[in-house]
Amino acid sequence: MGETTTQSSPIGARVPMVDAVDKVTGAGKYADDLTLPGMLVGKILHSPHAHARIRSMDTSAAERLPGVRAVVTGAETPVKYGILPVGHDETIFCVDKVRYIGDNVAAVAAESEAIAEHALRLIRVDYEVLPAYFDPEQSMQAETNLIHDDRPHNIEREYHHHFGNVEEGFAQADYIRQDRFDCPEVTHAALEPHSTLARYDAEDGTLTVWSSTQVPYYLKKTLAATLQMPEEKVRVIKPLVGGGFGGKSEVIPLELAAAVLARKAGAPVKITYTREEVFLANRGRPRQIVELKTGVTRQGKLTAVEARIIQDGGAYCGYGVVTILYSGQLLNAMYDIPNVKFDGYRVLTNKPACGAMRGHGTVNTRFAFEQQLNRIASVLGLDPVEIRRRNLLHPPCVTLNNLRVLSYGYPECIDRVVERSGWKEKYGKLPYGKGIGFAGSHYVSGAANPIIRSAMPQSTVNLSVDRQGGVTIFTGASEIGQGSDTVQVQVVAAELGLPLEQVRIVAADTARTPVDLGSYSSRVTFMAGNAAIAAARDAKRRMLQAVARAYGVAEEDLLMEGGRVLGRNGCPLSLTLAEAARLAAGPAGVLTARGSYNTPEESRGGTFKGAGVGPSPAYSYSAQAVEVTVDPETGRVTVDRIVVAHDCGKAINPMNVEGQVIGSVWMGLGQALQEVVDYENGRIKNAGLLEYRTASTLESPPVETILVESNDPEGPFGAKEAGEGSLAATIPALTHAIYDAVGVWIDTLPVTPERILRALQEKQQAEWKSPGTGARM
Amino acid sequence: MIPQSFEYHVPRTLEEASRLAAQFGADGKFLAGGHSLIPMMKLRLAAPKHLIDLTCLRDLAYIREEGEHVRIGALTTHFRIESSALLKEKCPLLPETAREIGDVQVRNRGTIGGNLAHSDPAADWPAAVLALEAELRAVSPRGERGMAAKDFFVDLMTTALASDEVLVEIKVPQLGHGTGAAYAKLHHPASGYAMVGVAAVIALRDNGAVERAAVGITGVGPKAYRAFAVETALHGKPATQAHLNAAAAHAAEGVDVNADLYASAEYRSHLARVYTRRALEAAVKRARAAATA
Ligand SMILES: Cc1cc2nc3c(=O)[nH]c(=O)nc-3n(C[C@H](O)[C@H](O)[C@H](O)COP(=O)(O)OP(=O)(O)OC[C@H]3O[C@@H](n4cnc5c(N)ncnc54)[C@H](O)[C@@H]3O)c2cc1C
Repeated sequence: MGETTTQSSPIGARVPMVDAVDKVTGAGKYADDLTLPGMLVGKILHSPHAHARIRSMDTSAAERLPGVRAVVTGAETPVKYGILPVGHDETIFCVDKVRYIGDNVAAVAAESEAIAEHALRLIRVDYEVLPAYFDPEQSMQAETNLIHDDRPHNIEREYHHHFGNVEEGFAQADYIRQDRFDCPEVTHAALEPHSTLARYDAEDGTLTVWSSTQVPYYLKKTLAATLQMPEEKVRVIKPLVGGGFGGKSEVIPLELAAAVLARKAGAPVKITYTREEVFLANRGRPRQIVELKTGVTRQGKLTAVEARIIQDGGAYCGYGVVTILYSGQLLNAMYDIPNVKFDGYRVLTNKPACGAMRGHGTVNTRFAFEQQLNRIASVLGLDPVEIRRRNLLHPPCVTLNNLRVLSYGYPECIDRVVERSGWKEKYGKLPYGKGIGFAGSHYVSGAANPIIRSAMPQSTVNLSVDRQGGVTIFTGASEIGQGSDTVQVQVVAAELGLPLEQVRIVAADTARTPVDLGSYSSRVTFMAGNAAIAAARDAKRRMLQAVARAYGVAEEDLLMEGGRVLGRNGCPLSLTLAEAARLAAGPAGVLTARGSYNTPEESRGGTFKGAGVGPSPAYSYSAQAVEVTVDPETGRVTVDRIVVAHDCGKAINPMNVEGQVIGSVWMGLGQALQEVVDYENGRIKNAGLLEYRTASTLESPPVETILVESNDPEGPFGAKEAGEGSLAATIPALTHAIYDAVGVWIDTLPVTPERILRALQEKQQAEWKSPGTGARM
Repeated sequence: MIPQSFEYHVPRTLEEASRLAAQFGADGKFLAGGHSLIPMMKLRLAAPKHLIDLTCLRDLAYIREEGEHVRIGALTTHFRIESSALLKEKCPLLPETAREIGDVQVRNRGTIGGNLAHSDPAADWPAAVLALEAELRAVSPRGERGMAAKDFFVDLMTTALASDEVLVEIKVPQLGHGTGAAYAKLHHPASGYAMVGVAAVIALRDNGAVERAAVGITGVGPKAYRAFAVETALHGKPATQAHLNAAAAHAAEGVDVNADLYASAEYRSHLARVYTRRALEAAVKRARAAATA
């Protein structure tokens, strides 16, 4: 859908986000900033047990406490829900069992936070404690005390894919390597804790919910289902959101609890999670164990890959079925692998449910794959860059598992990183203690198949052009800090040849904006962007038609440029946009236009079980080089420099793309070096931002971003994903750099100083036993 | 995040402050920079009914030289110590330690007295005052007394101060000829406090042997401690690399070593040995420079 643009085009312009000023001045409102007259405070009672049957519950003392306006329990809210149609296993409050420490047992709405907290302490719950499962490999052996009765062996889902023939592939290999990788659970740590304000109007039976969500549309559907209300009576409004990263991409218990409380209390209720509750709500990246086997020829050509993946999903399904599928499906679409086998197990344990997190499902698999590829290269004496070049895809192509790849900027990403980082001068040549590493990654530009299968477009945009020529975009797409609003303003302004200031945006209010499925799987720029372009083109067509009709000229002799309708081919006409809009408005009085986007049939993948997850209209690609200094005496790692090239198709706003890429790299750094949700018998030991330490600006190395523009044929102005794809490569590039620095491979995350030190000590001992066989020092 | 409610008192004199503290007993707490106490109150790990604000006692913030000593008022901020020209000349270990504390905001508010009285097991000042063999002086309604640093730290966040005693001064002997000092700290990745912090003071004889070694270590055990085993191992020995290595090996001896998400007890002990060796090396280097100066 690319189109040549004039010089002044907002496409490719480094413009600040349209909501930036409000955010910086504090004028912008996040959910927790909102208040309503008579608003109550809601608080949730969480389970103290990892696994227990609820024998009985007594809320009478809490109800009698002055200032308490409503108490709700599972008995009143038995409807099951879940983000996936195949995973409806949650209820707003536990009905018969609690399944993790922090599970939602009851909630109170009161006139103050102190009263609400007091009331929670008055609720008496009689639990029968059950044996609990914390380790996925043990949980998979379970016969009794299952977490969900209908999930034998506590296995939420398993998949077994086999494309080509790995036995034959391994038979052709000159070298086969097998490794086990263990990546513990990490979480989003968005700065804004989840917050929801709900108001129920008993007069007309309508519910309005303001929430920190990435998915207003699914939230609306789930509210209607669980509160047993007609969907058209529910309105969801997304205020500013202070970061999501996937942690707000499914319905979170507080959103439903606030609504139920508001309806019962007959007053607006707000719940804002404490930071500890954010950790308990979780939905982070699950612990993933990857047993990976790869075969290559002597020249480094891949012959077969076999992965056995176990994910520790926690107590509920959430996005789990999708996560486990991504972890296998996206072994593909990066390199040309002729034979691929995948056995994936999504396992339930008595811990907070995991879900989608930036790079959903792909990150830990990518770490394992890239690390193993680097290990193979070092054994075969091949340059790690060269082995990648020997296994590139040749798009346009369709992978073994039916993923269609059109644009493929990965080769260019590799070349640019090699050049900028000084790879050839550095790899294997730096002094002991210093190293450089290399890796690649990729990600979808939105899932080609929606969560709930239907013929409805993925994204729809309405557009109105007022009588003064002002344009308003109405979009369901959810700005969560990633630039959703700004991108849509830019593409509409570009299509209509207008300055950005002339375009307003109204977004993510289910009563006023058409459906967009939400901000997840990096779908917004691609899908809402294309829908916005379609709407702008519809508006343009209507205006040109109206002008042509009014002046008796041919439509082809008109064009829109610089905010005017101009004649061409000798036609002298020149009208302002306002004049054209008034003509197009005609007797209707207003010009409205609309556009939508749906994925092409060819991009939607195959028909085998699980084929629906992984297909995307386009894939982004990333290559990275990370440089480190390792103190061999303490194992401490300092990251000195990161060079990253990201193929985003086309950078509609390079400043924003760079921000997204750097943010991804930071998140990868945090996961690589220090982040882990630390459990002890199901209890999170570090449920706070002081204890759960994300990478910050303080420890950030210079990150040099290179934007590669492969101009996807179906992307809006050629654009693809930019917000997630660069995360995964950071981790294996960093571990590779550690190897280059001190000669040890770390296959367990995070790569703590202690792990490095232990590996160094083991290496030393091994070398003492067999001198002369060590890696270079 | 919201502290228990409390009454706030602003005494005008030191006497009034300690009298109030005596009156409230366990219900009262002194407030200095508030950078340890207020966070504790917000987390409700501390819930004093009475806060006695010492910050108006401005004459407790000073740095002066008196004979063989440098005297530092308990209410002196980390930043003043970090930037003191006098200390940089007379006792550079103190500015060197101050620099490693928290961030600029913390150093602008937090006081050396509050830090010592609080006695966080990973705080930086305890290591320095131990190695410098400082005297900590306190005032109560019963009068004034001095305590040796090695007797001051009793247990986890427990000092020898009585609840009505105000820490008023840190009295530091100046380092003599041929003496060097250094602080080696590994910042805890989460808190920025010391994962391990080692302050070392080394006095060398003219023949290069160690006349005196004093080593204070923080972050490793439940309280900061003098590493006497390290000191003894060095005493009288030439300050060679081999002897420094051997001495540093005793750094965590007999200590009940802390463990957390970021470092097991084993790894922390290892770090204590590495950072002790590094501190010793730096102190010896400076001692040699001081001897030839
Ligand atoms: C973000 C952050 C990072 C930090 N990083 C570090 C670090 O890296 N290293 C480090 O060492 N510290 C660190 N600190 C702690 C900081 O140094 C504190 O300022 C210090 O520990 C306490 O000093 P204060 O003056 O703030 O005392 P307060 O917080 O006011 O008091 C602490 C305790 O001491 C008592 N007290 C205070 N003054 C006296 C007195 N004169 N006599 C008797 N009792 C008294 C109080 O009653 C209280 O119990 C950090 C603090 C923060 C908030």
